[in-house]
Amino acid sequence: MFQNPEVALHHLPDMEDLEWQQIHPRYARRLQLERALVVAAIAIATLATNLLIGVPLSKVFMLWLALFAVAVPLLSWPLISVPRRGYVVRDKDIVFRSGVIWRSVTAVPFNRVQHVETSSTPLDRKFDLANLQVFTAGGSGGDLRISGLGADTAEQMRVYILGKVGASIENH
Amino acid sequence: MKTTKPGQWQRTSPLAVLFFFGKLLKVITKNAWQSLAPLVAFVYAYEGELVTKIVVGAIAFFVISSSIAVLNYWFFRFQLNDDSILIRQGVVKKKQIDIKFDRIQGINTQQNVVYRYFGLVTINFDTAGSSGSEGNLPAVTRAFAESLRSKIGEQRDRDDAGHEEPDVDPLLTLGWRDMVRIGLADRRALIVFAVLGPLLERLGDDADTVIANTIEQAADGAFRFGVASGVAIVTTAVIGLILLFALISIAAALLRYHNFELFIDGNTLRSHGGLLTRHEVSMHLGKIQTLRLEQGLVMRWLNRFQLSARQARSSQKQGKGKNLIVPVVTAEVANHLRELLLAPEGDSLMQIPSSERFSAISPYYMRSHILFVGLLPAITATLLFWQVLGSASLAFLLWLPAIILLSYQSWQRAGYLLSAEGLVRRSGLVGYRSAALLYRKVQRVSVTQSRYQRRKDLASLRVYMASGSVRIPYIEHATAKQLRDYILYKVESSQQAWH
Repeated sequence: MFQNPEVALHHLPDMEDLEWQQIHPRYARRLQLERALVVAAIAIATLATNLLIGVPLSKVFMLWLALFAVAVPLLSWPLISVPRRGYVVRDKDIVFRSGVIWRSVTAVPFNRVQHVETSSTPLDRKFDLANLQVFTAGGSGGDLRISGLGADTAEQMRVYILGKVGASIENH
Repeated sequence: MKTTKPGQWQRTSPLAVLFFFGKLLKVITKNAWQSLAPLVAFVYAYEGELVTKIVVGAIAFFVISSSIAVLNYWFFRFQLNDDSILIRQGVVKKKQIDIKFDRIQGINTQQNVVYRYFGLVTINFDTAGSSGSEGNLPAVTRAFAESLRSKIGEQRDRDDAGHEEPDVDPLLTLGWRDMVRIGLADRRALIVFAVLGPLLERLGDDADTVIANTIEQAADGAFRFGVASGVAIVTTAVIGLILLFALISIAAALLRYHNFELFIDGNTLRSHGGLLTRHEVSMHLGKIQTLRLEQGLVMRWLNRFQLSARQARSSQKQGKGKNLIVPVVTAEVANHLRELLLAPEGDSLMQIPSSERFSAISPYYMRSHILFVGLLPAITATLLFWQVLGSASLAFLLWLPAIILLSYQSWQRAGYLLSAEGLVRRSGLVGYRSAALLYRKVQRVSVTQSRYQRRKDLASLRVYMASGSVRIPYIEHATAKQLRDYILYKVESSQQAWH
């Protein structure tokens, strides 16, 4: 039967006292390793060109200093940003928050989800991590992307969300 | 086409050759040089006079392209099944497209002069969201298009298929005055003027020589007369050009929107119009995601708006979702249309920008604009060019007041209006834009806060629709959170389909 009960705004579920689930702590390590590899590759390339062309190291000192200056924040940033990321799977939606300076909280209702995808790069697999992507209509790729979940967690969430999506379609 | 049995491969009318010919011409003009290269080579190799060469070239071009068009027609076949339509096409590279009826957002048709004579249309399937299934069906009968329409449940079943007009009174008809309005308000006309700017300058130079000559000729005291005629020439030329482009623009409007009519036919919004090629666009009312009302400078002066109903766009082709555009409406009609299109929930979603019911956003909105778009670039440019230009580089600081003015303007125009079922966001810089949406069609919501916004307890809310997102910047954090929770509640408790 059709019901249309009145809703008191202050009784709506809010997000004030949510228990945010953390991204897997290994994700910070994984990000650091990835960035370290990039920095190392640039460093090696620079060194190689220095030696080949025979430019004395003292002349390109500033270049090395700049590389160092970039590398330090790049490598330490994951330690700050990863703990800030969190997600909550609720009965009817999934909420994801991220950002240190620009903080954002995004919520995707399950009855708008088109499909769910998990993915992992070789580096992710090395750390036993996976990424979860939730797609809604009209989005431009990856509408909600939660990177760095434990591989098991990601799979569990994928199955759970799919189940919820299926249920919401049957209710139509 | 009357004998359309399901599950049988069939060809469209031979007149479809016209469609393929047109398509080929389009492709050629797009990649003009590459496609014409073989032809040029052929003409070059052929010995003879220039005129003969050109004639031979033209004939060769015509023969080659029409045979390609004929081949395209010959290899184009389609099959109508219970739940989908299969299209097989391609001469060298074969392609099979499977268009499922439940994926079709709308069936739009076009009818050029020849087709109109024979009662044929070209169907354009609008399938937002599913890739690789965008298709055209050239030169089929109108009755067939109608039967397809009813098949995808787009309109009430109608057994007397084939009659021209839907049997409902149009909500809106555009007359020649509206064509003039559309033509004048066309942004492309402004672009033409921008391109024309340098040309006009050169024309001015020529006029100078004319003036100089006149002066020389009338050396004894007829000086004033010379200057006067010079100025007259320039003015006439400029006004003439402006008039010419206004005319071209109006002609373009006439070409696209002549006899434009808008209907609501059952649950479907339909429009048709066009002088030579008749465009017919249709959209299921339930598929409308956002309703946008826009007013540029000229439209403001004319006291008119442009209304567009947007539906879900495909994720593959950004922003390629088909919109149904009503090119010119009065505020009154726009209000009436909104009530019809977003019925029954959209009643209080007033979109007219001058409405008192809009709430302002926080004036802190201007700060980040002024800081990052104004102050920072101005100071950087001044410092960078200090060595080269000296104190003249201080002129870059003039950028700042301009940005301050623009930021203020954009803040004043920004606003939002909330109702129990949906919201309207107003924005604009020179003109106005407003977008209305229903909460229950929202796909996802996010609340974002910068460091500065956190300090002022402000936030920006972004509501993602299947047709794109709508952002309300710099509102109270508490309002943003409450609105988000309310939207989520509306979406999650909605039992209605969003499309």
